[in-house]
Amino acid sequence: MPAREDGDPVERTRFRVAGTEARRADGVAKVTGAARFTVDLSVPGMAHAVMVRSTRAHARILGIEREAAERMPGVLAVLAGADLVAAGLHPYYGHVVLDHPALAVGSVRYHGEPVALVVAETKLQAAEAADLVEVRYEDLPAVIDADEALRPGAPILHHERGQRVGDEGMDQGEGALEGNVCAIARVQWGDVDAAFAKAHLVVEGEYRYPMLYGYAMEPYNALAFFDQGDLVVYSTAQHVYMVRRDLARMFDLPLARVRVSAPYVGGGYGTKSYTKIEGACAMAAHLTGRAVKLDLSVEEAMLTTRSDSSHIRCRSAFDRDGLLLAREFDIVLNSGAYTDNSPLVNSKTANRCFGPYRIPSLRVVSRSVFTNTVPASSLRGFGAPQGNIGGELQMDEAAEKLGIDPVELRLRNLAGPGEAILPGKRPLDADLREDLRCLVASLEWPGTGGVSVGFGVSASDAGAYPTSTAAVRIHADDSATLFTGSTELGQGSRTVLCQIVAEELGLSLERVAIVGGDTGVVPYERTTGASRTTTVTGRAVQEACRDARRRVRELAAQNEKVDVAAVEDAPAGVRVKDRERSYGEVIEGWFGAGGEVLGHGSVRRGEGFAQMPPFWEIGCSGVRLSVDRETGVARVEKLVTVGDVGFAINPALVHGQDLGAATMGMGAALREELVYEGEQLVNPNVVDYRVPRFSDQPPEIDLMLAERHDGAGPFGAKGAGEGAGNTIGSSVAAAIGRAIGVFPHELPATPERVWRLLRERDERARR
Amino acid sequence: MRQISLRLNGVARTVEIEDQVLLVELVRSLGLTGTKVSCDTEVCGACTVLLDGRPVSACTTLALEADGRSVLTIEGLAKANQLHPLQQAFIDNFAFQCGFCTPGMILAAKALLDERPSPTAEEVRRWMEGNICRCTGYQSIVDAVLDAAGRRP
Amino acid sequence: MLRRFEVHRATSVEEAVDLRVRYGDDAAVYAGGTELLLAMKLGIARWAHLIDVKPIRELSRVAVARDTVRIGATVTHWDLERHPDVTRVLPALARLEASVANVRVRAAGTLAGNIAFAEPHADPPALLVALGARVVARGRRGERTLPLEEFVTGMYQTALGGDEILTAVEVPVPAPDARAAYVKFQVLERPSVGVAIVAKVNGASFAGPPAVVVGAVDELPRRVDTAALAGASLADARVADALAASARAAVSPVADLAGSEEYKRHLVGVFARRALTALAAG
Ligand SMILES: Cc1cc2nc3c(=O)[nH]c(=O)nc-3n(C[C@H](O)[C@H](O)[C@H](O)COP(=O)(O)OP(=O)(O)OC[C@H]3O[C@@H](n4cnc5c(N)ncnc54)[C@H](O)[C@@H]3O)c2cc1C
Ligand code: FES
Ligand code: FES
Repeated sequence: MPAREDGDPVERTRFRVAGTEARRADGVAKVTGAARFTVDLSVPGMAHAVMVRSTRAHARILGIEREAAERMPGVLAVLAGADLVAAGLHPYYGHVVLDHPALAVGSVRYHGEPVALVVAETKLQAAEAADLVEVRYEDLPAVIDADEALRPGAPILHHERGQRVGDEGMDQGEGALEGNVCAIARVQWGDVDAAFAKAHLVVEGEYRYPMLYGYAMEPYNALAFFDQGDLVVYSTAQHVYMVRRDLARMFDLPLARVRVSAPYVGGGYGTKSYTKIEGACAMAAHLTGRAVKLDLSVEEAMLTTRSDSSHIRCRSAFDRDGLLLAREFDIVLNSGAYTDNSPLVNSKTANRCFGPYRIPSLRVVSRSVFTNTVPASSLRGFGAPQGNIGGELQMDEAAEKLGIDPVELRLRNLAGPGEAILPGKRPLDADLREDLRCLVASLEWPGTGGVSVGFGVSASDAGAYPTSTAAVRIHADDSATLFTGSTELGQGSRTVLCQIVAEELGLSLERVAIVGGDTGVVPYERTTGASRTTTVTGRAVQEACRDARRRVRELAAQNEKVDVAAVEDAPAGVRVKDRERSYGEVIEGWFGAGGEVLGHGSVRRGEGFAQMPPFWEIGCSGVRLSVDRETGVARVEKLVTVGDVGFAINPALVHGQDLGAATMGMGAALREELVYEGEQLVNPNVVDYRVPRFSDQPPEIDLMLAERHDGAGPFGAKGAGEGAGNTIGSSVAAAIGRAIGVFPHELPATPERVWRLLRERDERARR
Repeated sequence: MRQISLRLNGVARTVEIEDQVLLVELVRSLGLTGTKVSCDTEVCGACTVLLDGRPVSACTTLALEADGRSVLTIEGLAKANQLHPLQQAFIDNFAFQCGFCTPGMILAAKALLDERPSPTAEEVRRWMEGNICRCTGYQSIVDAVLDAAGRRP
Repeated sequence: MLRRFEVHRATSVEEAVDLRVRYGDDAAVYAGGTELLLAMKLGIARWAHLIDVKPIRELSRVAVARDTVRIGATVTHWDLERHPDVTRVLPALARLEASVANVRVRAAGTLAGNIAFAEPHADPPALLVALGARVVARGRRGERTLPLEEFVTGMYQTALGGDEILTAVEVPVPAPDARAAYVKFQVLERPSVGVAIVAKVNGASFAGPPAVVVGAVDELPRRVDTAALAGASLADARVADALAASARAAVSPVADLAGSEEYKRHLVGVFARRALTALAAG
């Protein structure tokens, strides 16, 4: 059995700080209202910007009447995409393809797209003036549905493709990106057709996962100004270095002259990965010569980024004993109007849909498709929940048809620790069979008395580029400051990284400070996403601590005039000539007075992470639920997650991530969905887009930890933050299926959808 | 312009405002940025402040409503660097992650405990239904409120 | 975000009426603002003048007389759910009030504002109609009282005159042998089906036909034909069937994000039964 809750006691007592539920480093700031988020910042002389948004889904812009707005009191400028081009700026951004304009240039591609920006002394003045901006359009045919966008003769969104600047997600495809295809990913091995031909059982079906809005509670906002020609941007960005690259390109500035800083960020979950409104805000600052604040409402944020919805057609072949022979997936993602991160989401969907099973033959094609809808990008688990609904639900459907227990069916097929689930990739660094046994024991599988159970497993290839650096300064009073590019989104990275520093340097947590999320100050960090911080950044931090210790040993050797080999590490300093010296003693001894030691650490693809991915992020979660047959309301009665995290550096934070991810997953499984009627999003607000509430919380929750020290991160840790949510969709669908006798193939399983399934089943039974 | 007088976190203040100014805009313009705006539609509770002890959505309350009344924002809760028991309980129970919902959560919980000092978990959930947290999954918040009420979860 | 407007704080009903007359269509009556300010923020409606009725002392009272509970126009949901007289005399209304929206909306929003807005997805109207509530309006030509059923004329439409202010809601005190229940179905912020039942119960049977009203699902609260149920037993399964069928027939559900017409009609039947169960349970 995997160790529950406290892990292996022997392992845990090896550490002083790692493995404890240390209180959050940002605790007091966040409970007193003192924590400053970007939206709380202001600078003297700051002007305010308000967006004018498209009222068409697809149209050519014929003209923008702005004189009336420009005459309004306090108005500094009314800017459109054409002005940016005329000023010699590059209005397009994108980390994979440069096709997303900061403000529409020439045409609009979705209802709600930013068309103009009004800058005024106050936000009210900007809003009043924005009311007066009139845009003349010539409508073009629009396409909202992804399958329709693939049909011959469908309106084309991008006749000319933007320049390719990154390969994320574009490295798995073959075939031309024609028509509205944004990206293609393929995974293939074995002789699929032959396997299906000889199969004992073939399960076939279509499945849908909805368009979602991550609803990080702080909507996108930014504050931009120029300081002696250097661009300074404060924003809600998860990946400050990625935004820096986009901005440098938009302004033709060297990276050194662009500074992007993210203070506290009010929720991310992937929705704040990559550039959003920073370009428009910075351009307004450039063209007005003022500091400009642009803060969106939630409604506008919902018109900025959503997640890709999926339509899956798939089939699975089994032999008589329930062993998988082959799987085939054809997946279409609705990716909205611009590329953004959809290629990566698409390739992850392709890699994650078939599950961590031994599959002799496999064929997956996943296509990301442009439509005239809000552009899609990352959201927690990107790709995993979208594909999992098909892959896992077919395991349940097959189990039923074969008369094999669905747990047993999975156990027979699951890959074991050390087995490869994707050729050439890191072997599985987890024991999924044990995880699953633990899960179903807690769920009291198979369920009784009107309560039914669903569960699932997944393994996600996390973090494409483990590029990370960190710096640690040890001060003359035996305290230390960590510098990291990782952003604190709430996941607790500051706390965990401080715990790692405290552990490595032998200091108490109170003596460790952290500075993060500012490209002008902290060393490079590629991204804060994909649950990578603890594993990847944590390793860089460890390296930095060790480098600092090495420097201290060198100084001690010089102080004592001995060979450096004669100096050993002590818990919080060095041992030399049989005496312990604290860091401070060594540092002050070397400098004479004051001074400090700087350590630098870096990790990259290859070293330490010889094989990709750096770790497999495991999803193992399930639910017991009840269904009100009269109304179709499904209610989760118990939620169970197994956090297979290698080692929990701070168990409370891991629990928080697991429950948070699972709760989001339950939202998507039961309620959340962005709805298009005609060419317009009809629920871009939190009134009609319902996210989970206190009342949706399952009465029983069991958050388990499996700690086998099998991760590549510090102390055997590996990532957490997405896994628990990845399998919730299929778990809920399976549990509902067991309760009502039909498996829902479309999420969210809203009360009305469940009621319809029940009614159709009853009608079939009557016939 | 209209002049209003209020007690803001216990301090008497007189301010000039235009009629359409919202309470959240007023307190934030006075440097009290702990009160947040998220949904802007009275659904999420990020903007919760206590007006004469009752929780209101500062995002949809006119500032002039505070005339002659007392307003408590998150900044007014800790006394001389001594955290309020709810604040301490939120830290001890890991009842937040990003912290954007936290000021509103704590003030909503304060209004509950002021009226019902020893609520059940179910009462906490029902009272807090109008406060959204997107990070935690809520359990830790319920635990924190019960903890502050002296009912160890 | 809100655009500019001016707030006029009326201190008497007469002053409020004068302001309505003076500003006509440029002004709206403003109470809790939970609906009004939201609509103005979203740009659905914009007024240059708001007439604040909250400073009017006489509108803030709940008065219980022998046969009527008179609820002043600025009394909030929050007040009603706690009011000792309301919880005693109209417990079903107090319970309903505690289930409206969230604590903050209840703390600011008024019952009169809820009624005057005539947003169909509301809780109180169904029960109030079933209880036989009346609304009191005052304008230039004085005061008039009319049944709530006649006051609400459509989605967002009422019989309120351009010079009138709603001053109170009057609810008859139910007979000692009367019982009332309200049940609802809700998936989003507001109810999508609400069923109220008020009945005199004699032993385990209806003494006379129960008053059953379906709210939230249609453009208006709809009364259900229950003539056939007079004298019927509450526990009789056929009574529940008949009531459900009659309730389904009484409504023309409006489809929205909370459900299709067909689904909502089905729910009306389900919740009519549940209302009966709730009534039987006391
Ligand atoms: C998030 C949210 C959730 C909600 N959920 C529910 C729910 O579950 N159930 C439910 O029933 N309701 C719900 N509501 C509606 C809520 O009950 C009403 O908003 C509230 O009671 C309206 O009262 P108010 O005083 O705020 O009205 P205001 O917003 O001030 O006014 C509303 C309208 O009534 C008019 N008006 C107000 N008072 C008078 C008067 N005395 N004379 C003439 N006209 C007047 C105004 O001009 C305006 O047109 C919800 C609202 C929100 C924002
Ligand atoms: S911001 Fe006021 S309730 Fe959400
Ligand atoms: S802690 Fe992030 S929303 Fe609650």
